[in-house]
Amino acid sequence: MSKASSTWEEKIDAVLGLAASAILLVLMFITFADVVARYLFNFPLRGAFEITELMLLVLIFAGLPLVSHADEHVTMDFIDHMLPRTALRALERLVHALCAAVMFFLAWLIWLKAGKIAAYGDTTDVLRILVSPFVYFMAVMIALTGVVHLFKIVYLPAKRGPIGTT
Amino acid sequence: MTEALIGLLVMMILAFIRIPIALSMGIVGIVGYAYMRDWNWAVAFATAQTKVYETGRNYTLSVVPLFILMGNFVTRAGMSRELFRTANAFVGHLRGGLAMATIAGCAGFGAICGSSIATAATFAKVAYPEMKKLGYADYLSTGSIAAGGTLGILIPPSTIMVIYGIMTETNIGKLFAAGVMPGILAAVLLCIAVQFITWRDPTAGPRGVRLPWRERFATLKGIWWFAGVGAALMAATKLGWMEGNDAAVIGAFAVFGLAMVFKGVTSVIALFVLVMGGIYGGVFTAVEGAAVGAVGAMVFAIARGVLSWKTLYESLVESARTTSMLFLILIGALMFAEFVNITTMPQELKDLVQRFQLHPIMVVAAIMVIYVILGTAMEELSMILLTVPVFFPLIVHLGLDPIWFGVLIVVVVEIGLISPPVGMNLFVLSTLLPEVPTRTVFRGVLPFVVADCLRLAILVALPIISTWLPSLMK
Repeated sequence: MSKASSTWEEKIDAVLGLAASAILLVLMFITFADVVARYLFNFPLRGAFEITELMLLVLIFAGLPLVSHADEHVTMDFIDHMLPRTALRALERLVHALCAAVMFFLAWLIWLKAGKIAAYGDTTDVLRILVSPFVYFMAVMIALTGVVHLFKIVYLPAKRGPIGTT
Repeated sequence: MTEALIGLLVMMILAFIRIPIALSMGIVGIVGYAYMRDWNWAVAFATAQTKVYETGRNYTLSVVPLFILMGNFVTRAGMSRELFRTANAFVGHLRGGLAMATIAGCAGFGAICGSSIATAATFAKVAYPEMKKLGYADYLSTGSIAAGGTLGILIPPSTIMVIYGIMTETNIGKLFAAGVMPGILAAVLLCIAVQFITWRDPTAGPRGVRLPWRERFATLKGIWWFAGVGAALMAATKLGWMEGNDAAVIGAFAVFGLAMVFKGVTSVIALFVLVMGGIYGGVFTAVEGAAVGAVGAMVFAIARGVLSWKTLYESLVESARTTSMLFLILIGALMFAEFVNITTMPQELKDLVQRFQLHPIMVVAAIMVIYVILGTAMEELSMILLTVPVFFPLIVHLGLDPIWFGVLIVVVVEIGLISPPVGMNLFVLSTLLPEVPTRTVFRGVLPFVVADCLRLAILVALPIISTWLPSLMK
C-alpha cells in the first residue's frame, strides 16, 4: 500500500473512530443521567430521548466505514477452501466492487430521502432539532463506506478470520 | 411460497460467494420486493429508504450498543478471573471440578455480558491454563469452555434476545427474565455432562485442592455490605420511606460505590441484580438498564485500574464497530422480511399446518430440528434473522408464546455456536489455543452438544420453565 493513501486512511479511520467513541460515551452518560435526574430529582432531561435517537444514528453510520475498513462484515467462508488462491483473490475484489456499487446506490437513495426531509423542514418534537442534516450525514457515511470498498479492490487486504455476531 | 424459497436460495448463493450476509439479504430483499410488486422499483426503493432510515433512527435500538459496551468493559476489567476463582473455590475439589467451575464462571459472566463469543474467549484465557496445570485433558477443558461460553447469550443480558425482541416486537425485559431459569438449567445440564465425561475417563478431570469453607467464603468479599445495603433499601421501600424508583437509583450508586471497594464476584452479582431487577421491576426500561449496566461495568474497570484512555477508547470503538456491523445485518434482514411478508409463504405455512392438523408442539419441534441442522453450517444470527419472518407469524397463529419461542431461538443459536463443523465458539477456541488440535476441540464439545439438545427438548416440552418468571412481571 502506498504511503500517502495509508496515512489518509489512518487519519479518516482515527477521526471516525474518535467520533463514534465519543458519541457512545455520551450516549451512555445521557441515558444514565436521565434516569437519575428523573427519579431522584423528579427532573427528566428535556429531549434526552431525541438526542439519544439522533446520536444512535450518527454512531451507527459513522461506524459503518470503520467496519468495512476493518473487514468486519459477516461473510461465509466455505468457498475459501474450495478455490485456488488467485481465483479467491479475484473473487474478493469482485465482491468489494459489488459492495461499493451497492453502497453508492444506497447513499444516493438516502440522499434523496434527506432532500425530501429537508424540503419538509422536519424537526424533532421537543428540541426542534433539524433532522435533515443527520440524514445527509447518513448518506455521506454510506458513500464513504463505498469508497472504502473501492480502495479494497485495489489494495486487497490479507484474509482474516470469520467475525462473530453473538 | 416458491418466490420466498427462491429468494432464500439466491440469498444463500450470494452469501456463499462471499458477499457480506447483510448485503446478500438486502439485495434479495429489494429485488424480491420489486418483483412481487410487478417490478415496481420505485416502491421497492422507497421501502429500502424507509428501512435504513427508521432502523437508524430508533430509540429502542440504543439498547444494542449499550449492552455491547457493558460486555466490552467487563471483558477488559478481568471479571472472568474473579468469577472463575470463586467458582473454583467451591467446586474445584470435585471430580471435573475445574470444568464445572468454568461453566459456573461462564454463567456468572453471562449475567453481565451478552456475548457468547466474548465469554468463551475470556474463559479460554483464564480457565484453560488452570485446567492445563492440573492435568485436565484438552478435550474436556476446551469442550467446557466452548459450551459454557454459550451461556453468555442465554443468561441476560443477551444480544440475540435484544435483536429477536426488536424484530418481533416482543418485550425485551420479559425475554431477559425468561432466560434466567433456562440458563440455570443449562448450567446444571452442562455440569452433568462434565460428570458423565469424568465418569467415563476419570483422568480427564482430576480433583483440585479442597479449600476450607472459610476460604471459600473469603472469595465473596463484601457480600454482607451488598446484602445489607440491598436489604436496607428494600425495607425502606416496603415501609414507605422511599419510592421504589428512588431506591433503585440510590441502589445503583451504592453498587458503584461498593464495587470500587470490594472487587470480586459479589459486585458482579450486585450489578446483575441491579440491572435485571430494575428492568424486571419496571423501574428501568431496557435502554436505561443497559446504560446503568454500562456505567457499572465502567466502574468495575476503573476499580481494577485497567481503564486507561487506551482501553476506554478500545472498548468504545470496538462496541461502535460491532453495533454498526449488527445494524447493517439488521437492516438487510428487515428488508428481506418485507419481501417475505408480501409473498404467500407465511400464509401457506399456516395452511399447511391446518391441513395436516399438526399439534403446535410438533410444529415447534420441527422448526427446532430445522434450526439445529441449519445451525451446524450457517452463521447463527443471519439464520435467525432470515427465518424469523417466516416462522414467527406461524407461532403467533398457533397461539404460542413469543417469549418462549424467543428462548428456544436463543438455545438453538447456542447449539449452533458449538456444533461442528461451523461453530463460532469452536473457531474462537482454536484461534486462541493454537496448541490444541481442532479435532480435539470438536470431539470434546460433543457431549455438551448432546446436553444442549436435551435441554432444548426439555424447554420445548415444558414451556413453564421459560414463561414462569416473565409471567410475574408487571
